[in-house]
This record gives sequence, C-alpha cells and structure tokens, in this order.
Amino acid sequence: MRRLYYLVREAWANMRTNRTTTIVAVLTTAFTLACVGIFLLLYMNLRQAAGSLQEDVKLMVYLEDRLRGERVQELERKLKADRMVAQVFFISKEQALGEFRAQFPGESHLLEGLGENPLPASFVVTLAPSFRSPDAMRGWVERVQTMAGVAKVDYNQEWLSLLAELIRYIEMAAIGVGILLSAAAVTIIGNTIRLALLARREEIEILRSIGATRTFIRIPYFLEGAVLGACGSALSLGILKVAFELFRQQIQLTGRFSGIEAMLSFFPLSVCLALVLAGMGLGFAGSVVSLLRVGEGRT
Amino acid sequence: MDAIIQLIHVSKWHDRKAALSDVTLEIEKGEFVLLMGSSGAGKSTLLRMLFGEEQPDEGQIFVHGRNVTRLRPTEIPYLRRKVGAVSQDFRLLPKKSVFDNVALPLLVQGMPEKDIRRKVTEALRAVDVDHNKDQLPNSLSTGEQQRVCIARAIVNGPVVLLADEPTGNLDPEHTREIMELFKLINARGTTVIVATHDPHVLHHVNRRVITLVQGVLLSERRIGQGVGL
Repeated sequence: MRRLYYLVREAWANMRTNRTTTIVAVLTTAFTLACVGIFLLLYMNLRQAAGSLQEDVKLMVYLEDRLRGERVQELERKLKADRMVAQVFFISKEQALGEFRAQFPGESHLLEGLGENPLPASFVVTLAPSFRSPDAMRGWVERVQTMAGVAKVDYNQEWLSLLAELIRYIEMAAIGVGILLSAAAVTIIGNTIRLALLARREEIEILRSIGATRTFIRIPYFLEGAVLGACGSALSLGILKVAFELFRQQIQLTGRFSGIEAMLSFFPLSVCLALVLAGMGLGFAGSVVSLLRVGEGRT
Repeated sequence: MDAIIQLIHVSKWHDRKAALSDVTLEIEKGEFVLLMGSSGAGKSTLLRMLFGEEQPDEGQIFVHGRNVTRLRPTEIPYLRRKVGAVSQDFRLLPKKSVFDNVALPLLVQGMPEKDIRRKVTEALRAVDVDHNKDQLPNSLSTGEQQRVCIARAIVNGPVVLLADEPTGNLDPEHTREIMELFKLINARGTTVIVATHDPHVLHHVNRRVITLVQGVLLSERRIGQGVGL
C-alpha cells in the first residue's frame, strides 16, 4: 500500500515540480486531440446521416404498361420471395395518378391533355437492412431490371454513392489526421516526461543504487504520461462539446439548414470514455518513447 | 571461512588506460577491509564492479556466490539489495525526510508498512540519528547526513557494505565516529569494505588493508602482521 502511495505521490510530485510544462503539455495535447475530434465528430454524424438516409431509401420498380393481373401478382410474389427484400408495396396506375394530383395539384391539368393515364404501375421496394449498401443495391437493381415485365428500376443511386464516397474520404482524412496528430501528442507528452526525467536524474540514480527495479523507477513516469494524456483528452472533449453546441446554436439562429440540427449529435458517453482511454494510451506511449530515448531503466 | 567476494584476474580499462589490472583477491564473510590508494588508483572502479555498476573487461567477480559478470540487467537490482553502498556525497533525497530516505530500500522491495517502520527505526537508532527522523537531510550536519546514508545502506540487512570515501567530507572527529560505526556494523556480521585515500583512517581500524596503485594490487596486509603479496 505504502509502495503504491509512494509511486502515485512521485508521479504527482513530478507534475507539480514541472507545473508549467505539465499545463502546457495538457493544453497542447487537448488542442491536438480536439483537431482529431473534429474529424471524428464529422465522420460520426455523416455516417449517422447516411445510415438514416439509407433506411429511407425506397426502390421504385416501374412495370411495363401491358402488364396485367396475374403477371403483376407473379412479379410481386417473386419480389417478396427475394431474401434481399424486406417490404413490397404495390402502386397501381390509378393510385400513381391520384398521388401525382395530390402532390402537384397545380400541374394536374398537364396529364389531362394526354388522355390515357401515362403513369406506370410500380412496386415500392424496401431492402433488408443488411443489403442497403450502395453496392448491394446496385446489384439488386441490375438483377431486377432484367426481369420480364419490369420497365425500369429507379433510386437515388448517385446521391447515395456520392455520400458514401464523401464518408470514405472523411474516414481516410480522420485516420490520416488522427495518426499525425496522435504522433504529435505522443511527442508533446514524451518531451514533458523527458524533462521530468532529466530533472530527477540524480534521484533515479539513487533509486537504482538501492536496488529499485526498472519497473519501479518507470511507473511514476508511466502514470504521469497516462494522466497527462487523459487530462488532455478530457479537455479536448470539453472544447469540442462547447464548439459543437455553439455550432448547433448558430444553425438554429440563422434558420438555415433547418432540421439538420436535430440530426446532429455529440459523441455518446461510451465514445467519450473510449477517447479518454485513447488519450491515456497516447500519454503512456509518450512516456515509453521518452524513457527509451533517455535510456532510463538501464542498470 | 567462506569467501563472500572473489575477484579473479579482473582488468578494466577506461579510455585505453588501465583502471584495474589483473586484480585477484578474496574477501571472507565478516571481514573488515580497507581499500587504500590515491585518487585514480582504481578503488572506486573496484567497488562499482562489486555493485554491478560497471563490468570488467577481463576476469570474473563473485559476490555472495553470484557471478556478477554474468548477471542479467534485470538481476542487478536484486544484487544491490544484498550489497549496501555508502558514498562520500551521501546521495540523500533532499525533499524527503530522514525516515523516508532510509525507508526507500525497503519500499522498493515491497516490504509491509509495519516492518518498514520497525526496521527504519532500528537502523536510525543504530546510527544514532533516530531523533532526526522527521527532518530533511539538508538541515543536518555532514556527519549526521553520512549516518543517515549508512542507515539507508544497512536497513535491509545487507551481507556486504561498500563505502567509497565515506569520510571524505568529514572532520577528524566525525571520521572517527563513522569508522566506529562501521566497526559496529561489521561486528554484527556484515562484511565491510571501505575505500579511502586517507591514511589517518588506519588509526581507527586495525584490520586487513589492501593497497591499490594505478590499478595494480600492490600490497595486502593485516595491521600488525606485516606486508603480504
């Protein structure tokens, strides 16, 4: 117990002795990790948005005009039997016309001039959740388009592909920026630990001379690194949360992009804890790097 | 008697200059040995080797049955727990109390708190600084600081105590006191090796004297027994 108390007290003493360096390290780590956090937040929100958009994606299977009665039912049976399909809903030519009139009452006279109802009958298909990726959708559409009686299959493929591509880019940017800035955080914390090590060089020599193991000597510095990383990470979450709320407020005030603010969300608690742990890990890595660089622990 | 320390044809070079040259000697359990020689004679190098701080370029060193030259780095701390060290500059932690300084070797071993308290109190009492236990080292006289340093070296009951110029910073009166303390520690069974360049120390100790000159073991004698080697 006394040993543990000693190790924790040493770590605390290190931080207090080099107070300015410690504060600077926490602040710079916090801003560095906040930059990574911005990308993560953007990535998370876009993925959520893409997910909810994909939930809503309906595929319109337009039928050939000549298709009647039994053959429509046969096609419906086929679609319902498809393992990729979750839901099928039939819209007859008359229902389509009715919907058009309801949605565009001002333009309904355009159709009257044509005499016969030009709108096709269709199936509105919702795919099962595991088949809503752009690739799966594309494959399904290509397959159904070749079915007899199907005139055309329509869905907002381009827009979904674009969104998927954008998410992929942001994911790559988040990984790239994350790696770069994490390395920066490791270096910042590593330098702080290095200063602490140099300041306590004599003390370390004394510890070595009385039979302290490498681990015993290193633990306070590992603890210090982990605490600095965790504090930096927690502070970066605080900065992000404030910035996030300000951004949301700004959207509400300007009235632009109304509806978007309801879709925006901050990291859930589990992710926040994971990020603090990640910060702790980076700090620990910083300690390891500096201990290796200074060559501490060699007997 | 059993040899607790053995040096077999040990040589060490520092920048192409021989710090120790083909030294062979044995020190038996419970002996009190004075390692004499002027500055640069190789006394400190020899002690550092016994402590695992330096490795010889040639030869073998055995301490308490272990071949120090073949110890893995992870084993060296455990050697140091059996070999206490006292230095001229005391090497005390200035921000820790006398008690905490002396408790440190026990703390690194993970000894229970109750035992630490008991052993530290005993060690401080043995060197007569128990009344200073809550003070910081810098508030003590040099003699007292050296006593604290000795208390730290003996607190975990080492089999060997190495002292490198322990009286280098002390006046004659404190020198006498410290040498008496070493004799007392030796009388309790600990092998004591004191390295010094000060011939006056011989007045206080009439034991085995090993003289080194420029890294060479020049003479070995027991006071009153004439010159050996």
